[in-house]
Amino acid sequence: MSSTFKHHGDTGTPRPALSIRGLRFRYDGAVDTPADAWTIDLPSLDVATGEQVLLTGGSGTGKSTLLHLIAGLVDPAEGTVLVDGTNIHTLAGAPRDRFRGTAIGMIFQTFNLLAGFSALENVLAALMFSSVPPGRHMELADAALSRLGITRIHATPEELSVGQQQRVAVARAVVCRPVLVLADEPTASLDPENAEHAMDLVQSVCRELGAALVCVSHDPAMAARFERREKLGSLIRAAIPSPGAGAATTMGGSR
Amino acid sequence: MNDWTIILRSLRARLFSTVTTAALVAIAVALMLVLLMMRDAAQQAFRRGGGDMHLLISNDQSSMVSFLNGILYANPPRAPIPWARYQQLRQSLPLGDNGYAIPTQIGDSFRGQPVMATDAEFFSRLMPNPGEPWVFAQGRAFDADFQVVLGAQAAHATGVKIGQQIALSHGTGDAAEHDHDHDEFKYEVVGILAPTGGPHDRALFTTVQSTWIIHAHERREREADGKHIETTAADLTDADRKITGVYVRLATRSNSDVPANLPQVFDLLRKDSSIVVASPSDEARKLLVIVGNIDIVFRAMAGVVLVSSAISIMIALYNSMEQRRRQIAVLRVLGCSRPRIFGLVLTESAVLGVMGAVAGLVISLMGVQAVVLLMKSKFGLVVHPTLTPDVAIVVAGAAVALAALAGLVPAVIAYGTPVAKNLKPLA
Repeated sequence: MSSTFKHHGDTGTPRPALSIRGLRFRYDGAVDTPADAWTIDLPSLDVATGEQVLLTGGSGTGKSTLLHLIAGLVDPAEGTVLVDGTNIHTLAGAPRDRFRGTAIGMIFQTFNLLAGFSALENVLAALMFSSVPPGRHMELADAALSRLGITRIHATPEELSVGQQQRVAVARAVVCRPVLVLADEPTASLDPENAEHAMDLVQSVCRELGAALVCVSHDPAMAARFERREKLGSLIRAAIPSPGAGAATTMGGSR
Repeated sequence: MNDWTIILRSLRARLFSTVTTAALVAIAVALMLVLLMMRDAAQQAFRRGGGDMHLLISNDQSSMVSFLNGILYANPPRAPIPWARYQQLRQSLPLGDNGYAIPTQIGDSFRGQPVMATDAEFFSRLMPNPGEPWVFAQGRAFDADFQVVLGAQAAHATGVKIGQQIALSHGTGDAAEHDHDHDEFKYEVVGILAPTGGPHDRALFTTVQSTWIIHAHERREREADGKHIETTAADLTDADRKITGVYVRLATRSNSDVPANLPQVFDLLRKDSSIVVASPSDEARKLLVIVGNIDIVFRAMAGVVLVSSAISIMIALYNSMEQRRRQIAVLRVLGCSRPRIFGLVLTESAVLGVMGAVAGLVISLMGVQAVVLLMKSKFGLVVHPTLTPDVAIVVAGAAVALAALAGLVPAVIAYGTPVAKNLKPLA
């Protein structure tokens, strides 16, 4: 996959789904980190609309933290994160939450489905906080669940298999037709067969919707699924140019 | 799917905690409402005591003692009024055609129930509740000496039937057990009254002359040194003819219940040091003030239970926050704002209050009905507790407001729940 997109400021070019510049983050009170070291120190990262990127790296390299920064769940010390051209960190509380609910879908390792709520309600919950008109909620939720092959829409997560739970989580992440889907170790809780199937679904659904996918994983088997792979090395600061197709790169710039 | 779905799912997920917490609120609300309703019923009962009379004349130590003894049958009045004095009073009072001055004599009892000796006007003129004359459940009023009429509760408590012959005891209450029975004189039960909800329900009624005769008989027996004698009305002396009180209703115009000259008559009688005059309505009011202090204690207790229930809501929600941090974090990821999370928890707390208040309302209504039935069946007492909408709204509103207030701390915790930290996979 080509990732040679240009920034949305460039005339006549598509706006990237995600554009990061000079992003620096450090946890408050981190005692085992040198004073001048950052948990995240990312000069730049661009992901084009519809592009699918795999971020790899060992434990503690800040993969999940980067996703939280992109989703606006934590604020950086420095730098900007543009999602579909919007600097999410400049938005105030409620508008930021609404923007996240509409523009970003998130998939988690442990699915994080709402316990006690049915599969349908879990998906409807995502629509409830978005800017999607309420009149379309049921139709979109039904379509998303149907697309992901969930027939027992009134079953609660506890009544579904692990694989089905992951599919409900995917349906919830994409039901608002986000521009960007963030997947945090989406297959870590699944057996290889279910993992394969789940990733097929995540990637194909994102492709169908034209949503960019940023997936973090330390599963080596995932690498083959992504044309663009980035290795996230914390404490390494170097610009990440638009990578060439099929090449594995490091956040430090080595490709 | 809306905010209510989230709130109800959350309550359902903690069903035991939800039910117990709401039950605690319900108990507090029910307790408060029952107390208020029974207080009103007690107030009504006190007010009913005086019936439609304007004044009570006695020779007791004070107007309050007069009211307690002469109407509520607290103790037998100690100082009598001679019959001749009564007749003077009767002639001097502006009774007109529709007033009355009914003599009463309290001092005997039957199986613990007080006996009031009076005259026929007690049933024909006095109304136990204003506008409501006496109603006989069975039989009729007495029309001769040694006939007795029983109040509803007295009939219930003693099990006496119409036509039965009974002997009265000297003294009332516990004192009667140490005194003696007037076995020589049997009274025929001729009537049983319907309940009035007032203190007369627990009394027996006979003629003053019957009472004079049996007490004159005791005097004559002592004088005869144990010789067998018989006593009739012809044997009564002026010293035997005495009463303990007079129920007075002054003449009124047909469209008025309180005569214009009542204050003047009251003042005039008060200046007479040989008697004590009391206004039953005033004394009932004073008594309610005294009882009101106890009432405040009960209401304070109900208030403490209400506050305790609010604290239990806070604890229940606070404890649930630990389990709900992940849910809150997920909702935030899905786009739910912090203020909305805050509102959800606060509303959930208020919903617990509403559930408790509604249940409390139902429990209080059922409970009061049970108390009414119990008091009627066990004691023959008729109370009419009523729940006014404004009282119900204030108590239920207070419960809901307290519950919402109790949700503040958990809501603040929910508001500040860190999202990223709570999205981490469970160990």
